[in-house]
Amino acid sequence: MIRLAAPVRDPAVAGPLLRCEGLTRRFGDRVAVEGVSLSLPAGEVYGLLGPNGAGKTTTIKMVCGLTAPDRGTVHVAGEPATSARARRLVGYVPQDVALYPDLTARENLRFLGSLYGLSGGVLRERVAEALELTDLTDRARERVGSYSGGMKRRLNMAAGLLHHPRLLVLDEPTVGVDPQSRFAILERVRTFAGQGMAVLYTTHYMEEADRICDRVGIIDHGHLVAEGTRRELVAKLGEKDRIELGALGDLERLAELSRQVPGVEGAGVADHCVHLVATSGRELLPALLEAADRAEVDITSVDVVEPDLEAVFLHLTGTALRE
Amino acid sequence: MSALRIAGLSLRRLARDRAALFFMVALPVLVITVVGLTVRSFSTFPVGVVNGRSSAAAVELTAVLERWPSLEVHEYATSSAASTAVRRSEIAAAVVIPSSFGREIAASGPVEIEVVAERANSTQQAAATAVQAAVSQFSARVAAARFTTAQLGGDFAANLALATGLQGSVPQVRSTTVVADDSQQTLPAGFSYSAPTMLVLFVFINAVAGGATIISTRRLGMYERILAAPVGAGSVVLGEMLAAFAAALAQAALIVLVGAAAFGVSWGDPLAATLLVLVWSLVGAGAGVLAGTLFRTPQQAGALGPTIGIAFGMLGGCMWPLSIVSHAMRTVGHLTPQAWAVDAWTTLLARHGTLPDVTTKLGVLAAFAAGFLLLAAARFRRSLA
Amino acid sequence: MRPVLVIAAKDLKQRLRDRSAIVLALLAPLAVAALMSAAFGGAENVHATLAVANEDHGAVATGLLAALHAPELGRLVTVDEVRSASAATQAVRSGSADAGIVIPAGFSASVLTASPEALSTVTSVNDTVAAELASSVTQAFTARLNGDRLAVATALAAGAPASHLQALARDASGLELPVDVVQRALGARQLSTISYFAPAMAIFFVLFVVSFTSRSFFVEREQGMIERALAAPISARHVVAGKALSAFVLAATSLAVIGVVTGTAFGADWGDPLGAILVSLAMVLSVVALTALVIGVARTERQAETVSSIVVFCLALLGGNFVLVSVAPPLLRRLALFTPNGWALRGYTDLATTGGGVGTVVVPVLAILAFAAVVGVAGLLLARRAVRP
Repeated sequence: MIRLAAPVRDPAVAGPLLRCEGLTRRFGDRVAVEGVSLSLPAGEVYGLLGPNGAGKTTTIKMVCGLTAPDRGTVHVAGEPATSARARRLVGYVPQDVALYPDLTARENLRFLGSLYGLSGGVLRERVAEALELTDLTDRARERVGSYSGGMKRRLNMAAGLLHHPRLLVLDEPTVGVDPQSRFAILERVRTFAGQGMAVLYTTHYMEEADRICDRVGIIDHGHLVAEGTRRELVAKLGEKDRIELGALGDLERLAELSRQVPGVEGAGVADHCVHLVATSGRELLPALLEAADRAEVDITSVDVVEPDLEAVFLHLTGTALRE
Repeated sequence: MSALRIAGLSLRRLARDRAALFFMVALPVLVITVVGLTVRSFSTFPVGVVNGRSSAAAVELTAVLERWPSLEVHEYATSSAASTAVRRSEIAAAVVIPSSFGREIAASGPVEIEVVAERANSTQQAAATAVQAAVSQFSARVAAARFTTAQLGGDFAANLALATGLQGSVPQVRSTTVVADDSQQTLPAGFSYSAPTMLVLFVFINAVAGGATIISTRRLGMYERILAAPVGAGSVVLGEMLAAFAAALAQAALIVLVGAAAFGVSWGDPLAATLLVLVWSLVGAGAGVLAGTLFRTPQQAGALGPTIGIAFGMLGGCMWPLSIVSHAMRTVGHLTPQAWAVDAWTTLLARHGTLPDVTTKLGVLAAFAAGFLLLAAARFRRSLA
Repeated sequence: MRPVLVIAAKDLKQRLRDRSAIVLALLAPLAVAALMSAAFGGAENVHATLAVANEDHGAVATGLLAALHAPELGRLVTVDEVRSASAATQAVRSGSADAGIVIPAGFSASVLTASPEALSTVTSVNDTVAAELASSVTQAFTARLNGDRLAVATALAAGAPASHLQALARDASGLELPVDVVQRALGARQLSTISYFAPAMAIFFVLFVVSFTSRSFFVEREQGMIERALAAPISARHVVAGKALSAFVLAATSLAVIGVVTGTAFGADWGDPLGAILVSLAMVLSVVALTALVIGVARTERQAETVSSIVVFCLALLGGNFVLVSVAPPLLRRLALFTPNGWALRGYTDLATTGGGVGTVVVPVLAILAFAAVVGVAGLLLARRAVRP
């Protein structure tokens, strides 16, 4: 468990810590993000949920001041995100480990800490603290290139926290991470939030968003299609169920035929299953099994799941969250 | 067979490497050009002439200097410009003809021509001595003209013209040259100097730098992958050696072709030259694969390879002829294969040798090649096991 | 300012860790300079031993020998009198003499006759300087001998009656040659080989800083570290300036170390220290400018490596780092002045040969700075765009 010195909530900062309004960003002809607005107060974990290519990373980069939006504004504690003052308050943890493999852990941390304006005794303390919390004190003098993947990830995250940011931005922190480490990361995120840090967190794993996010924004093809607490979003589904059909065969055909079954609102293929959102899903099962017959598909499992974010996503976008 | 396939793949990867192509193709040609243009002649001295056109007499004296076999005349506008050129070694001496030269030679007193040259500098002194000889020849005409004018009167200029005309035919003491030692120890000047030395230098350097590819292939884990297939370690070693040899040979062949076609280099007896090229390519291949087993990272190979190649090149006579260094340095130099290769080329190009004349040197080179290849093969196999 | 120092310090630390950088920036140039010093450190002034076979022993022969012993040739020529022509030939062939002169028997007596004996110069194709010396001295000498004869012939051709031949010959004997050479020393210092090539090699290897630094930028970009750095409260300008500073320090240190070591241990003369420092600093600024340009122009590490290699070698070739540029044809010499390193070498050469101070190198330093300014401005603008597109 990481215990950081609790950042003091600045009473002078009125309103949300992070405020994005109408963010739009194009790359040539491609629209990566359009009209995204969201806000985030201190102490909240906000999950930006969407499949690959949805615009999550581009949004993140605008929040961190790495890219300027073509239209719209993003402010951190009232300052434009591209300003130095804003960036001093933001801790960025990139998706791919970004550390110098030819420098030691200590050297990496000292370097990054200095860039954030830390120096002298404070820098030394923070570096020591980060090494201790990531359990790397004994190996601090070894080159990062010799670390295991897990060690690198821990250090990657610690490097974003040296300056005790108010807003922590994590880009898909659990991709390719083993379950235990994933659990540990998620726990840490919750702790930071508990200490007053605002956390912006992108992922395409629904369970994570379910577990730790106070609020979720669903982003697809550059648009924020829904936003709210988990309960609010799921409530939009009303009586809708999510049905998971495990099957062997032409799943796309099955999804297509399923959509034609009255009552089915959306169907997508993911993880060798066809996911459906339907009203009163249980009653539709016979029709669905018949569709499977017509598609010449062998059903191996049927799961009727209570409405969750996966279902919300399916409902809103017509496609599955996972690919 | 798999060795050929491995060789083919390595060569294909090499062909895509633009930096390697620069070092193997463009750079050697550029260096050969620059060095060849610079090392033009060992036996003429460039001299500067000031006021060379200030009078008819000056023009004549300049003509004598121009026709002097060991002098190459460049004109300078001022004495200070010529002196600066001497200081910078652009010319070996500066000849300052007085602007009143025409009047002075027609008069009766001594006429002085200033030559700027440092006694302590052998090249400059040799140039000054050559200038002295040329001036003496001209001076004889002046003496004759003055004598005739004093004896018979008449126009000095006409008498000078007479004397000039007669100088070649009057019986006189001549100086002939006998070449006692015509066994040229150094390569001929110009491109015939730079092409063979740069061939020796670059084939070796590029081969050793090419060892970096073997290192990076190993670090990527590709050899492991290849060996998981039904391919023996011996095939891998042979394949890489074939590739290194082919690359070295191609580079050498290119230099030979470009040298002959673009620079007019005659590479000597075809059989001997071909064998020398083949053996040198083997030496390079061996050194390259050996480098691939000795260094740990591609960057090391990329840095140490050229360094060692240049050092050996210097020791071996690629950068300057070994005939000008001390006996001790020459002996040390012959610990490198480069020295033997340059010696062989010198025999072929400067002394028009044939195969029997270079057998020993080829033998030594073959021994180097065998040594490198065997050592490389042993180390390579061990690293693959 | 602080971010620039932090970034530069981190960069330098990485360069030091990278042994290949140390090899190319320090070890290789020192090794090369050491080799050159060993090869050329010995007596740079060739001494020609002339084997003179005086088979005549007459008065004229004695005169020629006296000419060979002339003071201006003293340091250059050693006269080794041998018994016969074959002895002289043997001496040259065996290498105990560099060239030879043979005065045949009956020479002195035949000088004034209608068919005088010829002197011969014995040479080796391997020592053309000695051959030239021997040949020139004998030719200058014979010109004096022949002067009388030419004077008489000219007078006769101009219309003097044949009957006056005796009188003319008498008047012409001992005629002085009026046009003479007065040799003036430059008072300049000799430029030894090591004094030219120590700076030449130092600069050549220093140019590799362009390659290291520019490549490291792309490596860092690939590692995600440029982005990570830009997420911090610093700007792209800081990143570019940090890299420029690290290139500057690396290049300056390399040149300084090589200068000091070759100057003290290998006998290289870099000239007046202050002048040499100014030229070196200007050169280092050019290196920084080139680094920025390569970063701005290349897109990947491979490209940076290729582009910087091409730039480094072309500059070195043109600028005279591989050959003594002064003996190159005039076109090449002029092309050298389009390169910063060409001007730097000229600066060092002028310092070493004139023994002058800072004033000697004003023009080269300005030329190098002009290059650095032009390339630098373009480079910095492009590099900034590469850091944050």
